Amino acid sequence: MAHESHAQTHAKTLPADLGAPALVDGWRNRALVVGVIFTVIAVILAFLGQSQDPEHLGWDHFLRGWTMGLMLTFGFSVGGLALLMVQYCSGGKYGLLLRRPLEAMSRTLPLVFGYWVVTAIFMKRLYLWAQFKGDADTAAAVKAGILTEIQKHCIDFKRPMLNPFAFVWVSVLCFAIWGFYTWRLNALALKRDAQGPETTPFWIKKFENISGLGIVIYAVTMTAASIYWVMSMDPTWFSTVYGLLYLVEQGFQVLALGIIVTLALSKAEPIRTLLRQTEQHDLGKLTFAFVMLNIYLAFGQFLIIWSGNLPNEINWYLDRIRGSWGVIITLDFIFHWLIPFSVLLSRDIKRNKKRLTFVCQIMIFAVAFNQFWLIEPSFHDAARNLHFSWGILEYVAVPIAMMAFWIAYFCTRLKTRPLVQVNDPHLAEILEPEHAHA
Amino acid sequence: MPPREGTYGLLAEFDTPGDLVRAARQARQDGWRRLDCYTPYPVEEAAEAIGFHRDKVPLLCLIGGLLGGAAMFALETWISVLAYPINVAGRPTYSWPAFIVPAYEWTILWAGLSAAFGMLALNGLPALYHPLFNAPNFRDGATTDKFFLCLEALDPKFDLAESKAYLENFRPVSVVEVEY
Repeated sequence: MAHESHAQTHAKTLPADLGAPALVDGWRNRALVVGVIFTVIAVILAFLGQSQDPEHLGWDHFLRGWTMGLMLTFGFSVGGLALLMVQYCSGGKYGLLLRRPLEAMSRTLPLVFGYWVVTAIFMKRLYLWAQFKGDADTAAAVKAGILTEIQKHCIDFKRPMLNPFAFVWVSVLCFAIWGFYTWRLNALALKRDAQGPETTPFWIKKFENISGLGIVIYAVTMTAASIYWVMSMDPTWFSTVYGLLYLVEQGFQVLALGIIVTLALSKAEPIRTLLRQTEQHDLGKLTFAFVMLNIYLAFGQFLIIWSGNLPNEINWYLDRIRGSWGVIITLDFIFHWLIPFSVLLSRDIKRNKKRLTFVCQIMIFAVAFNQFWLIEPSFHDAARNLHFSWGILEYVAVPIAMMAFWIAYFCTRLKTRPLVQVNDPHLAEILEPEHAHA
Repeated sequence: MPPREGTYGLLAEFDTPGDLVRAARQARQDGWRRLDCYTPYPVEEAAEAIGFHRDKVPLLCLIGGLLGGAAMFALETWISVLAYPINVAGRPTYSWPAFIVPAYEWTILWAGLSAAFGMLALNGLPALYHPLFNAPNFRDGATTDKFFLCLEALDPKFDLAESKAYLENFRPVSVVEVEY
């Protein structure tokens, strides 16, 4: 056929070396330096915060910042796994460009598990419910004025779920499941590449079958993790959309990072040859969809709770609006929705590497900013009372350090494989010139 | 205005979008300005090849969306605050969170309608007649699997014999003359 012969004559040739370029080593080294510097800053801030009257919360803030770093790196790692599975099911040429970065993100799970172990060890400083063993303990705490009646009721009622034993085992089970899918998808991807094109249909089906169920299981385990790790910081509140909110947030941050990484890699081979504007534009559009979905769920949750105005629900929002927290949520709205939405509307910006990268950086910052708004007001000392302390700066220092080490680890993972999967029909398509996308 | 007569242009037929784009790019480079591409589905590169300039559809879409959102928000505010103030569970009459959803829906509705109808209007549609439909291969192929480049007679470079030979250079499936 004329079309095919044309495509062959004008197609670009696949670079011989598909490995990650040397610039990835540079990123890793820079990330390690940043990680070390911010670790030192974080420790200094913890001591400063600990000595500050009247709260002495330096190390508590350190742990809260740690939880934020955990949620961010967890979002990249397991969110990367989830987007990988979604992409295997949905197909799409854009996905071929993201596949290896997503695999590398998923293979950072051991580091995230390490981060989580710290949270689990210091559970009592982060989770109110972890401090009381039984009904007698909570009753005594109410008498001593440590707990309110409502908190006591909620902690007692939720104890079958919110107890240290369940926290540890549910989390470990979740990590085991994510680990299994990470291992399976990553191992099979290498096997797939080692085989010839005649096996392609088999592999497409195979990956679809694994990923389809994987997505469902991911949604359930994600919900459990987000409830245990963040939502339960305030034992009185619950929201059924909470897991879904985190799920969308992960898509949001993973796409943003995926775009940043792909565009940065396109400065060198092999991605320089493989990245076309068409796919970059597609990635921008998909990110825009997640920006919209995120505000849809976040505002939906707020609207329902605002409409109900029930005392067991509305306090969660009042804790996060009153006492200057309104400023934070307004800024959150601006960073998280207004800026990405307005900017990504533009077709030109989605096609401009520099500007698209900049928007994605803002989006990742917004995800972190949103975590601050979710985590800090859960604690008695900060609810309805946004105030400065040295400790609050831990929300900057600790997550930056954790993210930096995560990025360094991610870079080493990225280096271990060719940057593109070759046993895939999309590869021939993205090598064609752009006008042949028929 | 009297009906136009004579040649509308020369229509070259191609089998692939790639051939069309290369021909269109070359023609544009050789100084052709009155020319157009016809494809069964959007081929963005073809638009770029013939010097596609920005149109006003995005602006219309934005204005439509903003006006729609503002109109619904204003309507809700007027109803709840002025026309029929009613106490709902002690909330203020100006309860903006409740207004967001319909205002959002109207933003989408009016952005969509403005984009669709604005695009049609700027394209000069609906049109009852277009000379190209005089070409049988265009009638059969333009909406299925053929790609067309038309050099229009209004272009100063146009000369029936020379232009026909020029188009033949691109090795199209056919070149036909189209009457008004």
